[in-house]
Amino acid sequence: MLADWPSLLFNALGWGMATFLVAAGLTLIFGILHVLNFSHGGVFMLGAYVAFTLTRWSGTGGLASFLGASLLAALATGVVGLAVDRAVFRRLAAVDGAYVLVATYALLLVCNGVAKLVWGLNVFSAAPPESLMTVTVAGDVVMPHYALFVIGAGLSVYLGLEWLLNRTAAGRMIQAIAADPWMARLLGIDVGLVYTGTVVLGFALAGLAGGLLVANQSLSPDLAGIFIIQAFGVVIVGGMGSIRGAFLASLLLGLVDSFGSALLPSMPGILFFVALALVLLVRPQGLLGSGRLA
Amino acid sequence: MTRPVPAFALTLAALVALALALPFLVNRGLVFLAGLVAINAVLGLSFNLLFSTAGLLSFGQAAFSAAGAYAAALLLLRLPEVPFLAALAASALAGAGLAVAIGLVALRRTEGVYFAVLTLAFSELVHVVLAKTSLFGRNDGLTGIPRPRLSYGLGSVDLAVGDRYYVLVILVTAATAAALWWVTRSRLGRAFRAIRLDAMRAAYLGIDVRRRRLQAFAIAGAATGLAGALAAPLTSIVSPDLAHWGESTKPILFTLLGGAGVFWGPAVGAVVYAAVEYATRSLAGASDLITGALLLAVVLAVPGGILGSALRLARRGRARPAPRAAPAPAPAGGAP
Amino acid sequence: MISRRTLLAGGAGTALALSARPRIVVGQTNEPIRLGVITPLSGLQEFIGSFVRNGAEVAAQMINKAGGVDGRPIVLEVRDEKANPAAATTVARELLGNGITLQLGTISSTVALAYGPLMQAENGINLTCGAGTEKINHENYNPHVFRIGDGTYRMRAQARLMAERFPAVTSWTGIIPDHEYGRTVWAVFVDGLLEFYPAVAGKPPTIIDPIIVPYGSGDYRNFITQAVRTPARGIVNATYGGDAATFFQQARPYGLFRERVLMDAANEFIVANALKDQVPKHWTGSHWYYAGNSSALSRAFAEAYAARTGEAMPMGWAGEAQAAVSAYAAAIAKARSTETPAVIAALKDLTWDTVTGPRTMRREDNQAVKDLEMIQLEPDPGAARGFKVSDYVRVEGAGVIEPPTPGRKMSLRAPA
Repeated sequence: MLADWPSLLFNALGWGMATFLVAAGLTLIFGILHVLNFSHGGVFMLGAYVAFTLTRWSGTGGLASFLGASLLAALATGVVGLAVDRAVFRRLAAVDGAYVLVATYALLLVCNGVAKLVWGLNVFSAAPPESLMTVTVAGDVVMPHYALFVIGAGLSVYLGLEWLLNRTAAGRMIQAIAADPWMARLLGIDVGLVYTGTVVLGFALAGLAGGLLVANQSLSPDLAGIFIIQAFGVVIVGGMGSIRGAFLASLLLGLVDSFGSALLPSMPGILFFVALALVLLVRPQGLLGSGRLA
Repeated sequence: MTRPVPAFALTLAALVALALALPFLVNRGLVFLAGLVAINAVLGLSFNLLFSTAGLLSFGQAAFSAAGAYAAALLLLRLPEVPFLAALAASALAGAGLAVAIGLVALRRTEGVYFAVLTLAFSELVHVVLAKTSLFGRNDGLTGIPRPRLSYGLGSVDLAVGDRYYVLVILVTAATAAALWWVTRSRLGRAFRAIRLDAMRAAYLGIDVRRRRLQAFAIAGAATGLAGALAAPLTSIVSPDLAHWGESTKPILFTLLGGAGVFWGPAVGAVVYAAVEYATRSLAGASDLITGALLLAVVLAVPGGILGSALRLARRGRARPAPRAAPAPAPAGGAP
Repeated sequence: MISRRTLLAGGAGTALALSARPRIVVGQTNEPIRLGVITPLSGLQEFIGSFVRNGAEVAAQMINKAGGVDGRPIVLEVRDEKANPAAATTVARELLGNGITLQLGTISSTVALAYGPLMQAENGINLTCGAGTEKINHENYNPHVFRIGDGTYRMRAQARLMAERFPAVTSWTGIIPDHEYGRTVWAVFVDGLLEFYPAVAGKPPTIIDPIIVPYGSGDYRNFITQAVRTPARGIVNATYGGDAATFFQQARPYGLFRERVLMDAANEFIVANALKDQVPKHWTGSHWYYAGNSSALSRAFAEAYAARTGEAMPMGWAGEAQAAVSAYAAAIAKARSTETPAVIAALKDLTWDTVTGPRTMRREDNQAVKDLEMIQLEPDPGAARGFKVSDYVRVEGAGVIEPPTPGRKMSLRAPA
C-alpha cells in the first residue's frame, strides 16, 4: 500500500496545488474583507466555462492559447468581481456580516443558473494543451505533464501573492487594512479602493483557477461544488485568511487525502474530514491563524 | 401601546387558529406544506434567537435539525414503545447535546464570520458521519418512519389518521415558538442581548459570557432538534441531505427575508419562501435563478426584511397624524 | 369498496358504475388523465431528470396525437424533486393532494424507497424510471411502487455479456463510488460473474477488491494509480456523469484502459459525449439505445424527441419515461379506470409495448421484465461527436432476472 509512497507524494502535490489555486482568491477576500465568499465556487466554474469556450473557438491546442484563455477568463471574472463589489459588498458594508454571507450564497445560485442557461446541462471535457498531454515516468511514478503544470501554476500563484503582499507598497497597504482598517483610514489609505481591488483580484483568481484547471476535471454545472469543500477546508486549516497558511494547509491536506486513500481504501476522503475535525478541536484559529495575512 | 404578553399571545392564537382551520379550506397537499412551513418557522425562530438575540451567526443549524430528525426516526423505528412525546423530548436533547459539543469548540471564536465558518465545518462533519454510518442507514437514510400513536392513561390516538399529525405539529411548533419568545423576554434573554451589544462590558458586569452563549446555542439547538423530529414522521424519511450545508442556509434565508429585528420575522420569511416556491413549482429548472435573484433583491433592497419593513411603514403611516405617538423602533428580537 | 372497484375494473357491471361513479368509466368522457412527473430538475441529477421530463412529454404528446387513452388526453404535471427526498415527498404530496395519484419519474433510490409507505398511505402509485436499489423489489417491496425499467439484474446481464465475449478475461475489479448505488452495482455484477463465467466460459472468475472512490471529487489520480497496479484484466465502472468523465479524463495519461476490458454500468453517451475522440473503447449499459431499436414506435419516438429537444442522440432515460407513460396508458385502458387499486391490479402482469419492445410487469414484486441493451463505444475522430457505437447487444431479460422475493433481501453469490 504505502510502497507506492512516491506516487502518493506526487499526487498529493497535484491535489494540494489544484486546491490552492481555487482557495487563493477565497482566502484573500476572507483575510481582508472578512467575508466568506460562498459564490467563489460558482465564479471558478464560470471561469472554467469561459476558458473552455475560448479555446474551443480558437481551435488550436497550443499552450499559449490555453494560457491566454485562462487569463481572459480571469479578466472576465475580475469584471464580475468589480460589479459584485459595487452592487453588493459596498452596499452591505455597514450591515451585519450575515447579510453579506447570504448575498454571496445568492450569487452562487445565480452563477449556477447562468451557467445552466448559457452552457446547458451537458458534461464537457477539455483536453490539456498538446504539449502537456505527455507523461514522464520515473520509476513507478507516472507524472502527467499537465499535473506538473498545475503544480507549477499553484506555486507561481503562491509566490506571486507573497511578492505582492510583502514586497510591494500596495501589498503593505493591504496588510495594514487587514490588520486595522480604522487605523489605515486615519493614515490616509483609501480603504474602499483597496477593498475593491481585493475583490477584483479574488474573483480574477477564481476565474484563473477555472481556466488553468479546466482540463483537470470534467466541466458541468456540478463543478461549482467540486473543489469548494476542499477550498473551505484549506481556508479553515490555514488560519482563515492567511495566504501562507492556505498554502501550507493545501499541502498538508493533500498529503492527508493522498495517504488516506492508501491507508483507508474503503472510506476514501474520510481522513480529510478527520484532519479538519482535529484542527478544529486543537487549533480552531487554524495553523497560522494570528490575523496575519501573508 | 399594547402590552407585549397579550399582543404575543393574541398573535400566536390567531396563527394557530388559522393553521387549524386550513384542513377545512385547502387540499391535503397544501395542509402537508403548511406543516412543513410551521416546522421551518421554528427553525427560523431558533436561528434568530442566536442571531438577533445572542449575536451568534450559526451556519450549521442543519446539524441540529438532522440530529433531532434521526433521533426521532430511530426511536420510532427501533423502539416504538417509547411514547412519542418522550421521543420528541429526546430529540430536543439530541439537538441540545450536539449544540453543546460543537459550541464548546466553536464558541472559542465568536467574532462574526469565524463562528459561521466553524459551525459550517462541524455540520459538514455531521453530514459525512450520517452518510457513512450503518445505524443511520448510510446514503439511503431511514425510510418508512411511521406516524406515531399518542397514548395517555386510558386511551390512545393514532396520528396516522387524517390530519391528526398535522394538528400535533401545529400545537408543538406553537408551544416551541412561545417558549422561544419567553426566552428572549426572560432575564436570560436580556443577558444574551447584553452580550450581543458589548461582550466585554457584559463580562465586566459579571455575566459569564461563554456560559451564556453556550446556553443560547443549546436552547436554539434543542428547538431546532425538536423541529427536525417533528418533520421525520411528517415526510416519513430522514436522509443525510438533512445535514447538508444547503439546509443550514434556509433558516438564515427565512430570517433575513422576514426580518431579523422582529420576533415573528423568520416565521413570515418561512411562509413567503414557501409561497414563492409553490408559485414557481412548475417553472422547474429555473429554481436556482429565481431563489438567488429573490434573495439578492431582499438583502439589497429590503434589508429590514418584509415584516420589519412593513412594520416600519405602518408606523410611519400611523405616525403622520400624531408624530409623538410613534413608538421607538423595535429592538432586535423584541416586539411580536 | 375496493373489491367492487376491482370487479368493475375487470369489466363487469358497467351500468352500475355509470350510475354510482361516472368518473371511473372511460370512453364516455374526454376528461384528461393527469399524470405527475416528479424528477430532479435542479442539482446534481438534473441532467438525467431532463431526459425523463422530455421523454415523458414526448410520450404523452404521441399518445394524445393518436387519440389519447380511449379518447382521453394525457396531461402531465411536472415537478422538481431537487434530488432531495424531503423535497420529493413534498411535491409528491402536493400532487396527491390535488388528486394526481398516478406519478412517475423518480430516478433516485432514496426517493423511490421513501415513496413506498407514502404512496400506500395516500393511495397513490409511483413508477420509477431508473432508481437502482435492489431494495425496491426486495426487502422494501411495496405494492404501490413499480420499476417499469431495468432492475438490478441489468448488471447480471452485463456480466453475462462479458463472459460470452471475453471468456479469457477472468480477473475483475471495479471502480465503485462510495455510495449505496455503487455497492449495489458491484455486488450484483459480481453475482453475475460468479454465475456466468463458470457456466459460459467454463472458468471461475477471480474477484479483486474494487477501488472505492469518493463522490464528486475533482482529483482521482490516487485511485487511478491504484487501479493501474491491479492484476485485474477487466474493470467495471460505476462512477457516474461528471465524476466518470473526470475519472476517464485523468486516467488517460496512465493508460489504465489500454489493455483492459472496460464495462461501464450506465453512463450511456455521457462520458463519450464529453471525451469525444479521447474516450477509451468500452461497453456501457443503456436503458434504450435509440438506433438499436428498429420498431416503428422507437423510431417515431426518437424523431419526435429530436424535434422537441434538438437532441439527435437521446439517452435511455427518455425511453424509461416513455415506458412509464405508456404503462399508465395501457393499464388505464385495461382497467377502464384511473382509480389507484384498479390501476395497480391492471399493472400487475401487464404486457405493454414500449420503445424497447414489449415489457411485462412481474406480478410478485412489481419489477418489469425487459431485454437488456448494451453498446460498445469507441473513438472515431471522423465522426461528428468524435466517437461511434461499434457494437450493440440485447440480452433477454428472462434469462438473467433474479427470482422474485418481495419482502425479503435479494440473495447474491459472493466470492469465497
